[in-house]
Amino acid sequence: MASAASSGGGDDDSAGKLLVNRYLKGEIVGEGTYGIVNKAIDTKTGNIVAIKRIRIGEKKEGVNFTALREIKLLKELKDPNIIELIDCFPYKDSLHLVFEFMETDLEAVIKDKHIVLSPADTKSYAQMMLKGLAFCHKKWVLHRDMKPNNLLIGADGQLKLADFGLARMFGSPGRNFTHQVFARWYRAPELLFGSKHYGSAVDIWAAGCIFAELLTRRAFLQGSSDIDQLGKIFAALGTPKPSQWPDMAYLPDYVEYQYVAAPPLRTLLPMASDDALDLLSKMLTYDPKARITAQQALEHRYFSSLPAPTRPSQLPRPRRKGDSGNNKIPDLNLQDGPVVLSPPRKLRRVTAHEGLEVNMHRADKVDEHPSGMRHTDEMSSHSSRIPMSVDVGAVFGTRPAPRPTLNSAEKSHLKRKLDMDPEFGYAE
Amino acid sequence: MAANFWTSSHCKQLLDPEDVELVPAADRERGIMPEEFRLVKIHMSFHIWRLAQQVKVRQRVIATAVTYFRRVYTRKSMSEYDPRLVAPTCLYLASKVEESTVQARLLVFYIKKMCGSDDKYRFEIKDILEMEMKLLEALDYYLVVFHPYRPLLQLLQDAGITDLTQFAWGLVNDTYKMDLILIYPPYMIALACIYIASALKDKDTTSWFEELRVDMNIVKNISMEILDFYDTYKIDPQRGLPDDKISPVLNKLPAKS
Repeated sequence: MASAASSGGGDDDSAGKLLVNRYLKGEIVGEGTYGIVNKAIDTKTGNIVAIKRIRIGEKKEGVNFTALREIKLLKELKDPNIIELIDCFPYKDSLHLVFEFMETDLEAVIKDKHIVLSPADTKSYAQMMLKGLAFCHKKWVLHRDMKPNNLLIGADGQLKLADFGLARMFGSPGRNFTHQVFARWYRAPELLFGSKHYGSAVDIWAAGCIFAELLTRRAFLQGSSDIDQLGKIFAALGTPKPSQWPDMAYLPDYVEYQYVAAPPLRTLLPMASDDALDLLSKMLTYDPKARITAQQALEHRYFSSLPAPTRPSQLPRPRRKGDSGNNKIPDLNLQDGPVVLSPPRKLRRVTAHEGLEVNMHRADKVDEHPSGMRHTDEMSSHSSRIPMSVDVGAVFGTRPAPRPTLNSAEKSHLKRKLDMDPEFGYAE
Repeated sequence: MAANFWTSSHCKQLLDPEDVELVPAADRERGIMPEEFRLVKIHMSFHIWRLAQQVKVRQRVIATAVTYFRRVYTRKSMSEYDPRLVAPTCLYLASKVEESTVQARLLVFYIKKMCGSDDKYRFEIKDILEMEMKLLEALDYYLVVFHPYRPLLQLLQDAGITDLTQFAWGLVNDTYKMDLILIYPPYMIALACIYIASALKDKDTTSWFEELRVDMNIVKNISMEILDFYDTYKIDPQRGLPDDKISPVLNKLPAKS
């Protein structure tokens, strides 16, 4: 690993600077949970990397607690479906973490209406997500913040679990954990009922929500508060009966909800295959003890039945910012469908048609992703827009609510809780 | 448990006894002998232990801190990394890693309280925070450590001798006065402690050990090392090593800047 370069000087933030004689610093690409992220070139390997810079000593508490967690766990987790921590080095007043560079994330894929996800594509993403999760769980690590925007996608199309700032080791019985984890939409019912002794099943619930989101292209259970979240869960899956989940009534924050019967899952996800629905229902099983494990999920028939999962390198990519509509994408990504240059009205039909042929998928795709074929719109943005399908959300003002993350109040609450965790020793 | 010990960084970093006992070149130049090197490590393990008692952290945090401390000196010299600063910093880092953070200012406060008269032990918050970074680097950012405690409880249960728990637990605690955690898998250390405990308390565990199918030579070797340690040092569990044994060694280290 690199050691701190004693040489140096000049402006730390300037791009084009060589850090610790190894990393050629590029532009800022984002602000992570605890520091600025720069793109850089690893001159040792020629690879593009992302460098997270963590300032320390600001609050007199040394290396950030969250960063330390991430370092600790990622040093133990080396897997194709988990983000790689390549290197760490101190430089100036900061600790720098070097990660492999990831082009995009699953949230961008789900939200990008230009992308059509075939059943095989969805299967591929679900499989990579579960592989990464199975590896974590095998190593006794809970991720605790599974959501589409923490599932990063590399240039080779591989999906990788990232952001282990909330993750922790489990497996010590009798230890209390905080239930304030996960963004709300992905929070398992046992967490919403205040469970402090949970296990890997919480990650599976979130993965189930993400799987459903891949199938429908919108977040599956969009609660506006914790209470509402439970309401949304029960409306979709039915209020759990004690026979379904015997331990439910003993959870700290348990309250009885009015009984709602479960609508058939098929009505919520009309286009999903039977196998997909069966797997989904097992991932969203109420009783955490009965919920499917990541390994079992990977062995589910869904993954062995046709269509086979798309190879990662063949998966559709979201357009990067700055790609204009009258694009000049040289590598015709066929998954995106053909580029149409003639007047929109006439060609829209053609587009849809060709899109289908190119993708060679069942017709249900059109229904499944009605907005997926609208990629000609931008090209005709100056003319009247007559989309093939109506974007109901836009028209009726029922666009999905903004995706919740842990808000700052929750975060500080969480931090306080974790920092002070009064967990004492093993039983005598 | 420790289902994942075999694939952990801890497992990959286990060392041969000779490598652990090697005095770093910079310390050798200052005339520190292998025995003195060992004494400082024993002494500082006590220091960490006592400090931890003040700030009240779990056993596991102490064990992790001592492991970090010992691991650092398989790579760095005491001349360069002052053990009196490394020790509390290890406790600070371990408390964060084990999810029961102790604030740096609290550590500084208790160090002052414990070692008020001795200037060489006193450090400021910023010293600890600076050392934390150097420590992370010295540890190569590998922070997960496995300990014998959990396997100990499970093995005692399995052998049906849970009445020995307290005694065996105390033995495990004492193994951190030695470098065993850097050399052997934690469950082997736990087995050695059970072996000693059952021998001293007249429990017949022979057939149980046979069924385990572990290399009994290793278990016996570790047990001998532990017994030798008790024999050699006869340490007062409350006070640790006498000052007249330790001070001359620490005085060979460069003075605090």
